Amino acid sequence: MPELRKDPVLGRWIIISKERRKRPTDFPVEISTGSGGFCPLCPGNESFTPSEVLAYRDGHQPRNGPGWEVRVVPNKFPALVIEGDLSKEGVGLYDRMNGIGAHEVVIEGPDHEVTFADFSSAKKVLVFKAYKERIIDLEKDSRFKYVMVFKNHGKAAGASLEHSHSQLIALPILPRMIVSELDGARSHFKYKERCIFCDIIRQEIRQDERVVCQNDRFITITPFAPRTPFEMWVLPKRHASAYYSLDDADLHGLAEIFSESLQRLNRCIPNVPYNFVLHTDPLRSGGLEYYHWHFEIVPKLTSIAGFEWGSGFYINPLPPEEAALYLRESFGPTSEGAQSEKGTLG
Amino acid sequence: MVDDEESIQMVYREEFEDDGYEVISALNGESGLEKFKQEKPDLVILDIQMPGMNGVEVLRQMKMIDAAVPVILSSAYQEFKRDLGTWASDEYVVKSGNLEELKKTVRRLLKED
Repeated sequence: MPELRKDPVLGRWIIISKERRKRPTDFPVEISTGSGGFCPLCPGNESFTPSEVLAYRDGHQPRNGPGWEVRVVPNKFPALVIEGDLSKEGVGLYDRMNGIGAHEVVIEGPDHEVTFADFSSAKKVLVFKAYKERIIDLEKDSRFKYVMVFKNHGKAAGASLEHSHSQLIALPILPRMIVSELDGARSHFKYKERCIFCDIIRQEIRQDERVVCQNDRFITITPFAPRTPFEMWVLPKRHASAYYSLDDADLHGLAEIFSESLQRLNRCIPNVPYNFVLHTDPLRSGGLEYYHWHFEIVPKLTSIAGFEWGSGFYINPLPPEEAALYLRESFGPTSEGAQSEKGTLG
Repeated sequence: MVDDEESIQMVYREEFEDDGYEVISALNGESGLEKFKQEKPDLVILDIQMPGMNGVEVLRQMKMIDAAVPVILSSAYQEFKRDLGTWASDEYVVKSGNLEELKKTVRRLLKED
């Protein structure tokens, strides 16, 4: 029988459709992105991008030229524009404001062919550090309330260029998803005086059914009510609501757990398209006891159609406990040995 | 100029020829690419939504051949801007009945202003 499950933070329901249960090899994967040819993100083509706002390069190399490891540039054709006032106004019962925001692209490395999953942990550290530095910088602009960081990998997940990149959008409003998450977390805190995400981490470690891998600072789980097969959350074990509170050791821990999580995912479903999204607290919120920053990695393996649009429910053919087992068994023991003796999958 | 709509080609040709430009046109991406190789134009105006090769694919091939030739993407739609492949272009102009913005962009890219 199918099973309905409720996400404890958002209150969002999903359907685990066991009749439609699938193995990793049953999911069709279409990775191709772009058309080949000239790449505006490659070294040597810096003149095709706007002037960089951040780059990690050898100190002697000039700005906006080759020699960089990570480069952040404003979006050449941004969805929101940086200059101007918000000019908020009411039109009858409707609200409107100018489309002000910062839309930036993080070019994650100079090599066109290398995917983020295949980056060394040291290279991933630079990408995560770039997110942190850009959030800190954008926080100074009082017009912005939230910085959303996300990555689209593979055409099916919305990537339009093969060259590995992610995006960052500073918004003058809080996204609905974050408002709901904050509300859910606040409500749990009011009742129990504990962070719901800290509770989730404790329970997942204790139950050990959905832990994919962990190290001393981070844990990756398949959430109890995942929207898609192999959805994973990467959470810091130490409570922190702001992503930019990461120290250097955290950045290394994060890079290592991301490497392991994505490698495990790729072992299960090679070249799977996915999105990852950073969930962090609103800018200038000063550290929240009830919220806990994390990444959500969402493989693009199912389609969203009328039922999902209409109900807000997602239908997932793979229970997260099975997904976690596949991920754990995808290769050797995990860094801190998430136990994988709970069952076997055929 | 590469655009699959003949009516647009006619209007653009008339307007740009009146301004003293020589206009070479192609009705699809494949033929546009061939003409780009043969005719070596000073500038390209390229539609995005075309049957066969789309404009972004054509753009990335043209820039492989000669990145120095300015290419203006010209589309009736803003939403193609989400495709980072469009960054290989030198400008993106939304089609409108008034060609002034397009003409200004052409002059700027050809350094005539």
